[in-house]
Amino acid sequence: MGESTPDVREARRMLAKGIVIAGVGETEQGVLPGRGSFDLLAEATKLTLDDAGVTLADVDGMVTAFSFVEHTLMHATTFADYLGMAPGYFASVAVGGATAPLMAVQAAMAIDAGLAEVVLCVRGDNTRSGISSSGMIAMAREMSHGAYEAPYGLTTIGGYGLLAQRYMYEHNVPQEALAAVVATQSEHAALKWNAMLRDAVTIDDVMADRWIATPFHAMDCSLVSDGACAFLVTTAARAKGMKSKPVFIAGIGEGYSHQYISSATSVDGVRQGLGRAGRRAMEVAGIGPQDLDVVEIYDSFSFTPLIALEGFGICGPGEAGDWVMEGNGKLGGALPMNTHGGLIRQAHLGAMHHIVEATLQLRGEADDTGKGGGNHQVPDAKLALTNGSGGILAATSALVLSSDAPSA
Amino acid sequence: MSETTEKPVWTKPLPDMRPEGDPFWAGTKEHKLLLPADAAGKPFWYPRANVPGTLEPTQWIESKGEGTVYTYSTHFIGPSKAYKGDPPHIVALVDLDEGVRMMTNIVCDEEGFPSVDPETVSIGMRVRVVFHDATDEITLPKFTPVD
Repeated sequence: MGESTPDVREARRMLAKGIVIAGVGETEQGVLPGRGSFDLLAEATKLTLDDAGVTLADVDGMVTAFSFVEHTLMHATTFADYLGMAPGYFASVAVGGATAPLMAVQAAMAIDAGLAEVVLCVRGDNTRSGISSSGMIAMAREMSHGAYEAPYGLTTIGGYGLLAQRYMYEHNVPQEALAAVVATQSEHAALKWNAMLRDAVTIDDVMADRWIATPFHAMDCSLVSDGACAFLVTTAARAKGMKSKPVFIAGIGEGYSHQYISSATSVDGVRQGLGRAGRRAMEVAGIGPQDLDVVEIYDSFSFTPLIALEGFGICGPGEAGDWVMEGNGKLGGALPMNTHGGLIRQAHLGAMHHIVEATLQLRGEADDTGKGGGNHQVPDAKLALTNGSGGILAATSALVLSSDAPSA
Repeated sequence: MSETTEKPVWTKPLPDMRPEGDPFWAGTKEHKLLLPADAAGKPFWYPRANVPGTLEPTQWIESKGEGTVYTYSTHFIGPSKAYKGDPPHIVALVDLDEGVRMMTNIVCDEEGFPSVDPETVSIGMRVRVVFHDATDEITLPKFTPVD
């Protein structure tokens, strides 16, 4: 794999043990009145255990996230109590949209340290139906500095808008580039059995939609949904006795550039900060962008994947818009992106669905024809890059997943 | 108290007050834009008790209140019900000439500081500070286009 730094070698050492995703599960997504937060988590847990062919008694590690509805400072252990289990390892991860890949990293580290062998990573919520109006205001204000940003009426959408408008100005990126991301992903969501929005939309449809905060129309924004999703992390050795084809975690990486959007130094500073996550995950995996078969890129807004594609080195600075408009990210294109529809067409559970979709792609099981969807399988997909970003492109975590075991 | 001096009730977000921001808000109340700075007078943003990076105690300098729009986003929906029925408001990041970037609104320099027409805002435009007395205690610095 050539020269590498000691930290990269150490990450490779851990992953060479064979850390795998041995099962995945996703509930219905959308507007699910009557469903509770823990109830949804429990369903995703059951689906995931069934997919792996194990029971709760086999699980000795629990990694969860947080809830906008069920407020607890001890989310993982509260949910373990709900399930009636006593995990030997537990952690609640809370880094916004970067949480899901970090849950996988937490599980891998726990396994490497001998703290657990079979770790359930589960996140879900009844955010859409269960959140109070004060909770909604708190969520809108969450990413603003309480003293120096919130009094100006900043929304999370507008915070991304500030960066997006500067990006479009610096690189002369047209509004159509954002719309092309939405159109591309809408074609994919049309094939995903549990996507909230199953209708394919065109660039013109997006351009004619109502404004929320420039440069975003309503269709450029991610959804608010109810639902849950889980994946099971274990060793390749342990997965041999399980039911589904294991998918290997081949690369991990993180990147950070700022917390408040006022603190972001420049468009390129943000691109390089978040980009480190994907570049490093690929370095650990010993691969480059040209080796990828599919990417599931965090898409809180239509702009979000563009700067990530550039930060990860898949496109040059300012070139991702053209790349998407040329159809490279579509199924059948050079590097299909967000083959499940993503946060803007399927549902919003942070990057959980991105990990589940990447896993299904590498298992060759992304054909939902039998489930009321369609075939969104990328033929012979062997390597996937996926990421999540928390805050306004502030903190990013990325994984390279592989159908084959990483070489040491 | 006569009608003209009574301020309308402020229903929009007010700043979370923290002790390290007190000098800043004391300044805006007197219609001065104070910036936190290091010992050499180099400002940083946002106010903290210590200089980020070096963690030396914060000093304060006065800004001339002039700068350039780095970016903006026209908000058609605000973060709470208090914005319902309002015309769009413009949230901007302004690069002050002293070298810091702060968030603000781009407004007209007239009674109530209404938002400017979004069509007139552009990246790179010059702006100057105005002081919007939101309540008896809180004055928000906002920016208006320089003619």
